[in-house]
Amino acid sequence: MRVPLGLLFALGGRNLFRHRRRTAMLLAAICVAVAGVTVMNSLIRGFQQDMRESAVENLTGHIKVLAPGYRDDPGIQKRFELARQWRPDSLAGDMAGWAPRVRVPAVIMSERETRGIQLVGIDPAREDISFLADVPVDGERLEGPEDNRLLLGRALAEQLQTDVGYRVVVMSQGADGRNREAGFRVAGLYDADGTGLEKAFAFTGLDFARAMLDADGVTEVSIRLRDDETRPGERSVAERLRDVFTGQDVLRWEQLEPQAAAMFAFADMAVFIWFLIMMGALVFGLVNTLITAVMERTREFGMLRAVGMRRGLIVMQVVIESTLIMAVGVAIGLGIGAGCVLALADGIDLSAWAAGVEMAGMRSVLVPRLFPGDLALVAGMSLALGVFASLYPAWRAVNIEPLEALRR
Amino acid sequence: MSGALALPARAARRRSGVTTAALAWRNLWRNRRRTWLTAGGIAFAVWLLVVSVSMQDGGFEVMIDNTARLLVGHVQLQHPKYHDDPALEHLLDDASALAARALATAHVTAALPRAESFALVSAGERSFGARVMGVVPAAEQGASSLPGMVTRGRYLEGPGEAFLGETLARNLDLDVGDEVVLLGTAREGGVAAAVARVVGLYATGQAELDRSLLQIPLDDFRAGWNLADGMAHAVVLLVDRAGNSAAVAAALGGGDAAALDWRALMPEAEQTVEIKRLSTRLFFALIALIVTFSVVNTFMMTVFERTREFGMLMALGMRPGALVRQLCIEALWLGLFGVALGLAVSVALIAVLAGTGIPLPEDAAEIMARYNMPDRMYPAFSLWAAGFAGLVMLLGVQLAVLVPALRLRRLTPVDALRGPE
Repeated sequence: MRVPLGLLFALGGRNLFRHRRRTAMLLAAICVAVAGVTVMNSLIRGFQQDMRESAVENLTGHIKVLAPGYRDDPGIQKRFELARQWRPDSLAGDMAGWAPRVRVPAVIMSERETRGIQLVGIDPAREDISFLADVPVDGERLEGPEDNRLLLGRALAEQLQTDVGYRVVVMSQGADGRNREAGFRVAGLYDADGTGLEKAFAFTGLDFARAMLDADGVTEVSIRLRDDETRPGERSVAERLRDVFTGQDVLRWEQLEPQAAAMFAFADMAVFIWFLIMMGALVFGLVNTLITAVMERTREFGMLRAVGMRRGLIVMQVVIESTLIMAVGVAIGLGIGAGCVLALADGIDLSAWAAGVEMAGMRSVLVPRLFPGDLALVAGMSLALGVFASLYPAWRAVNIEPLEALRR
Repeated sequence: MSGALALPARAARRRSGVTTAALAWRNLWRNRRRTWLTAGGIAFAVWLLVVSVSMQDGGFEVMIDNTARLLVGHVQLQHPKYHDDPALEHLLDDASALAARALATAHVTAALPRAESFALVSAGERSFGARVMGVVPAAEQGASSLPGMVTRGRYLEGPGEAFLGETLARNLDLDVGDEVVLLGTAREGGVAAAVARVVGLYATGQAELDRSLLQIPLDDFRAGWNLADGMAHAVVLLVDRAGNSAAVAAALGGGDAAALDWRALMPEAEQTVEIKRLSTRLFFALIALIVTFSVVNTFMMTVFERTREFGMLMALGMRPGALVRQLCIEALWLGLFGVALGLAVSVALIAVLAGTGIPLPEDAAEIMARYNMPDRMYPAFSLWAAGFAGLVMLLGVQLAVLVPALRLRRLTPVDALRGPE
């Protein structure tokens, strides 16, 4: 039998128009739910991206090469030679940048105070891949790998009661296991988003750090990718790096920052939980309205059955009505949601809760992000829910006995 | 009008009020399925808020308690300048007296005097910077959770001993029984030096603590850093319940020492709680809005179906205002029913969960065990959430009924008797 789909859609549309205000209210509820899910979804995605970005930017990178054992016992003894093994050109297509570093635990002393830190020797020109690239600096930045000055975090400088231009002493273990000391002039103070990074890292030139520790090589190479997705059928960059750095540990950010990776995975779940809860609230009203729409048309359905409309078509009629209103609601709701996200494009300022935000690995400004895939997912799941919610009302409609109904 | 005449009129009005309420309740059940579905929506919203806030509050309490018991404490008594500028010279002169006074205060279960400074910790050729903390071993044991996290050896017992994190020990390449040398800056500018034998290692699971904290007996610290007897940087207080911290801080503050509760000591924990609360409210506002739209719809359908009935009542002399009032009472019943349903389900669920607890995922449970805390989460019923959710939903339902009810005022009996449309 040919299904008169066009007719069913026309009937469904007209039935919805019979009660304009009721349909409008139902649409409003659907719009609020869909727009709410869209906005929430984009906030969660924004949070998720932020978390990965800050995990990657706080000197981790998407991928990091370390000498075996460095993670358990960080120190200059666990270093490797860069020159012999490294051919960055071979990966130029996938890499956004790479930075060689010497990173060792150290003690920093001013005239007043002493603190434990990580001393990081960097090539400033290569640090466009880390937070150092866009962090504001008071005073001067480091000029090159041979720069023998120190770049400190503002919070650490406050603890040490030192400032730009003053001298501090840094002590760390040299390559031979003996302690080395070096005097540094403070070149500048950097202001990171929270105080965690500021208290942890002090930077100097890579070559100067090597000279101070009496060592060649580096303790890590941090790599930032252009795009963190591996296309199917292609060997991942990490695998190719393992061929280059034989014998070294090549680790992804998920392995280096397991907590951030766990939160990242949880955010994927949170998107679904939100959807289920919002739609759960909606479904009560939706079923209610659909049942009423069926019951007040008992005579009509009875007549349609009496003139020979099949049960299947009756079910389809109710399902189509539900799906139609859902589709319109989803379209408007997604529009409103996307509008809200655009209005929030500058981000939501969370700096009033800076410390809590930092603990959660977020930035002080949360920028919502919309992904087409998520929008499609919300739309698809909403339509599926529309069909699901219409099943009971449709069952009621099918069970209307033509004779009984017409007698009413 | 005289008082004598007013009396029976008021009685009659009261009787009619009772009748209206009873009538409204019966009207509600003329369409059972619709009432159940609408009340179900209201109940769902109430249940969602009450249960999620109760779980969060239970979770927050555990989180704050864990963090407080590990090291920071629920309340600290400090030199007034120490919190902003933790310098060695910002000392409490008579920590023991403060501790004794604190222990006599209600809710306080432990008072732990501590002193702290940064030092260079050396073992053999290796040196690392670390926080050195002077503690009273006998007081810490059984109060702080750190002594329970021993992975090798034992906690401090007597003079000349040191207790440090596993990572720090690994970095220094030392083990239980080895000697460490501590070098720092003493009070009044001298060199602080101490030698201690490692008696135990701990692992908290917090990388920062495991890498950078070393405890020695407070008397050793005083000797090394040139503090007088009785001096300390803080008296760390533990309280029976985190909720009582503010009261304890208020009771003990105001003297020479500043009393800071966990909100001031751990702003990040406070702010995390704040952010989660805010997002829960936003979330509830959206749900309440969706449910309110559904209620508007329910009443619109009700009014539509009963147009004839209303016309008849008006023809008999009932005023439109009275009809509106009656619909509002119906809405009130519906709201109360939905809220009661939601609260009943929440109370039952929380009562069961508070008894059995919610088992946490395995890796989370492992972390909890390290904190000497149970591996289950216990929700704490939130009266605030119950009251708030109930009130919002009742108000929402009243607003919702006004949309169709106010249209009744434009209805004329003749049109209404002709039926809808």
